[in-house]
Amino acid sequence: MEFGTMDIAAIRSGLAAKEFSAREVAEQSLARIDAVDGTVNAFLEVTPEAALAKADEVDAAIAAGAFDELGPLAGVPVAFKDNMNLAGTHTTCASHMLENYVSPYTATCVQRAIDAGALPLGKLNMDEFAFGSTTESSAFGTTKNPWDTSRVPGGSSGGSAAAVAAGMATVTLGSDTGGSIRQPGSFCGVVAVKPTYGVVSRYGVVAFGSSLDQVGPFARSVRDAALALNAISGRDERDCTSQDVTIDFTRGLDAGVAGMKIGIVPEFMDAAGLTSEVKYAIEGAAEKLREMGAEIVEVELPHVRAAISAYYVIAPCEAFSNLSRFDSVRYGFCDPSHKSLAGQYEASRAKGFGPEARRRIMLGSYLLSAGVYDKYYYPAQQVRTLITQDYERAYETVDCILAPVAPQTAFAFGQISDPATMYATDLYTISINIAGNGGMSVPVGLGEDSQMPVGAQLIAPAFHDMNMLRVAAALEEAYGTARVAPDFADVKAGA
Amino acid sequence: MKKIEEVLKDWEPVIGLEVHCELTKLETKMFCGCKLEFGAAPNTHTCPVCLGLPGALPVPNKAAIESIVLAGLATNCDIEKHTMFYRKGYMYPDMAKNFQTTQGPKAFCMRGHLDLDVDEKNINERYGVAELAPGETFENVTRTEDGYTAKVGITRIHMEEDAGKMIHVGGAEGRIEGATHSLVDYNRAGTPLIELVTEPDLRSPEEARLFMEKLRQIFLALNISDCSMEEGSIRADGNISLRRRGTDQLGTKTELKNINSFKSLHDGLLYEICRQAEVLEEGGVIYQETRHWDASKKRTIVMRTKETADDYRMFPDPDLAPYDLSDEFIERVRAKLPELPDQKVKRFQETWSLSAYDARHLVEHRVTANFFEACMETADAKLAKPLANLIINDLAAMANDGLDLSASPLSPARAVELVGLLASDAISSKQGKQVLAAVLDEDKDPAQIVEEKGMKQVSDTGALEAVIDKVLADNPDKVAAYKGGKTGLLGFFVGQCMKATRGQGNPKLINQMLAQKLNG
Repeated sequence: MEFGTMDIAAIRSGLAAKEFSAREVAEQSLARIDAVDGTVNAFLEVTPEAALAKADEVDAAIAAGAFDELGPLAGVPVAFKDNMNLAGTHTTCASHMLENYVSPYTATCVQRAIDAGALPLGKLNMDEFAFGSTTESSAFGTTKNPWDTSRVPGGSSGGSAAAVAAGMATVTLGSDTGGSIRQPGSFCGVVAVKPTYGVVSRYGVVAFGSSLDQVGPFARSVRDAALALNAISGRDERDCTSQDVTIDFTRGLDAGVAGMKIGIVPEFMDAAGLTSEVKYAIEGAAEKLREMGAEIVEVELPHVRAAISAYYVIAPCEAFSNLSRFDSVRYGFCDPSHKSLAGQYEASRAKGFGPEARRRIMLGSYLLSAGVYDKYYYPAQQVRTLITQDYERAYETVDCILAPVAPQTAFAFGQISDPATMYATDLYTISINIAGNGGMSVPVGLGEDSQMPVGAQLIAPAFHDMNMLRVAAALEEAYGTARVAPDFADVKAGA
Repeated sequence: MKKIEEVLKDWEPVIGLEVHCELTKLETKMFCGCKLEFGAAPNTHTCPVCLGLPGALPVPNKAAIESIVLAGLATNCDIEKHTMFYRKGYMYPDMAKNFQTTQGPKAFCMRGHLDLDVDEKNINERYGVAELAPGETFENVTRTEDGYTAKVGITRIHMEEDAGKMIHVGGAEGRIEGATHSLVDYNRAGTPLIELVTEPDLRSPEEARLFMEKLRQIFLALNISDCSMEEGSIRADGNISLRRRGTDQLGTKTELKNINSFKSLHDGLLYEICRQAEVLEEGGVIYQETRHWDASKKRTIVMRTKETADDYRMFPDPDLAPYDLSDEFIERVRAKLPELPDQKVKRFQETWSLSAYDARHLVEHRVTANFFEACMETADAKLAKPLANLIINDLAAMANDGLDLSASPLSPARAVELVGLLASDAISSKQGKQVLAAVLDEDKDPAQIVEEKGMKQVSDTGALEAVIDKVLADNPDKVAAYKGGKTGLLGFFVGQCMKATRGQGNPKLINQMLAQKLNG
């Protein structure tokens, strides 16, 4: 039995039939992390006590005959990006700044997953404070791409993608501010969903860009991702930007795409830097959808090229402000060698934050300063409105948009070191955060040249996330369900 | 330094106020569910939100929004239906997130005003108003029968959160100088706070004091805050500059802080006007700085010089969606407006034919207004004026000195009885004061005190005539002088008669009879 590679339905039926217990699921999952994670480095903290305690709770309910009352994630091994608070565990955001920070409270999305029966395995590696696209900026070592450990897993939710791709968890949660769920999902060949802004509560998720951040699931099947979304979505009184979403995200997964209109965006497909293997894969996906009865139409997003510029104004401004609380006074890294408050602030923040965090703080601090604010922040908000309107216009003709997730498949460590070049790779994902729509990545085979997974991005109108899930399910049907990365498929726990 | 009267001849003070008021009547904080409680053990009313823990998010307190809308409606503001919360960057340990959540260019309440009624005795603090005829208007001022009315603009009232409290251990009086370490109590962090900013429409320390008095009356009537200056739940900063009479350009302003009473506000501004005038007249320069009023030394001292403008890096708070108020909500709040001080003044005038002055001064404090109304429940309408006199002239001062009017031995019934004795000339006004003191001391009814002390006023004209005749007969030279034109001696004769009656003669009657005899 390899629970790490099972889907939710298989775990559920196994538990129902008493073929195995939730405790066995937890123990084996933990053993698999032991066996695999030395190589992958997806986990920053493993929480065996929490996982086993929850498993026993699930088992007790089953023994009491209350199986039907168990939540949709009962007995499912789940792990969380390390910017999500789980009371009693560390929330480091992969930063020295929070290396010793233990949270006294639990994020809503984490609590909802656990309440739905999930077994919390631990906390996952990421780019420091989610600033990055490779997980290389983690203060605690890089995470390896399970498909090729010489390559990056993508980021910033690299640990979340790699944990699922290596079969260490059935579902993980990540957060996406400019592509941080979708891009690692594409690089690691798993299903990765960034729902519409407001679908999942942000309460307890350490903020990067508050108007852009959204939590979503990673899984090896579209249905598992939809089930996880069902568990974590909906209005939360503690997050006033969360919405009263009561959608069943599994609805329509089997409906097929016949009669759907799916958009292709020339601005995306013709963009400089798009590798031929990714372009070819996306065109192939379009062809498959057409064969399945969808109508493929071109839609224009005339302002989408300005998305990166607008994003790198809005996101650093919000990040600068959100990170100002990390001041060494109440918690977090403190350099005590300074007598003055200003000296303590300066030294602690200079040493506690890594280079990318410092760069974004400096950028945001400059962009919000008097005289500069009007030149950048305000125009960026105007661009935001134009991009949102672009998408709204596009959705007058199509139900969903098909696009690349990233210009290329997973690349080697250290291959992109220039920040501006790195930022440019976010072209396909960033505009969706700017507009607040839902977007997801679903595997569409391996790139012809790199032999690494390629994800197709599906983008849905706000609060019509089921449109993209439905198209993703059709592509999954055509390409086969996402697999555990080949090198890890046969690793036996404890072996 | 020159006296204020001299300064005002050449200089026009321009004053604006920034008033912070904690909404102490609310149950919970501005953006979290923590309880509001003054004086609790440090850091016992805290949570991830008000401690600024990673991942915590704010949720606005709807009751606080209702309070600020009440404040806006009561101060004639326009209520803005679409506003946003902003983040104001400010790095200091008392602000857990290192930004304060406040409002941007558009606040919930904009463009309001209050009318201040200034008494005749303070008219000279407002230059040139004394020369106006009643009803005549100049700038924002209208001359009235007993003073003037000044219309003071309110720029805005916005919603924000308070900071925590810093305690510097080892420093003198808790100051940071010389402290070994600092402690922070976050119980106050996130307390809902409204900030009201006036236009620079105030021209005298008295107007500033009156504005604060009136605002306090309104906020107390609205029951949104306990408005305690001692506990810091209402705080005022004064911005003040001078300009030469006849010029329009504003001078450099100083900001007056650390004001913990309305008297301090008045005295601090008065000092600052004289100080600035002296500096300017000696050819000096006023620096834009924050000054601290030292009440014991009766002077202002520099706290902080502003060399460059602070850069707060304000931007809309992305965690708080734009806040929309519906017409329905605003009307629901409007329906909750209680009787406001101006309306109460008008009602007092109309119901009991009181003068504007009397009505205004009764309403100035809620306790005196309530006491007056309690008296009038039983008192005859014609006692309204003497009751008002008693309350304004005697009780208000006692209440200021700490007398709790709602629980003193002088019940409204006893006050009515006392005023009745005075009105029927049973006792003199001087005896009235003695009776009042005795009621408070001995907790007895006024009639009983009058009885016990044998204080009956002598209003028997026969008895008084004998006394008067004796006084006149004993002082022939003074009588001659009076008749020769020294009419001021009337007071002397009255005094002698009062003495002869051991203070029990009716002075009004004695006055009349003496005048008759001397002039007749």
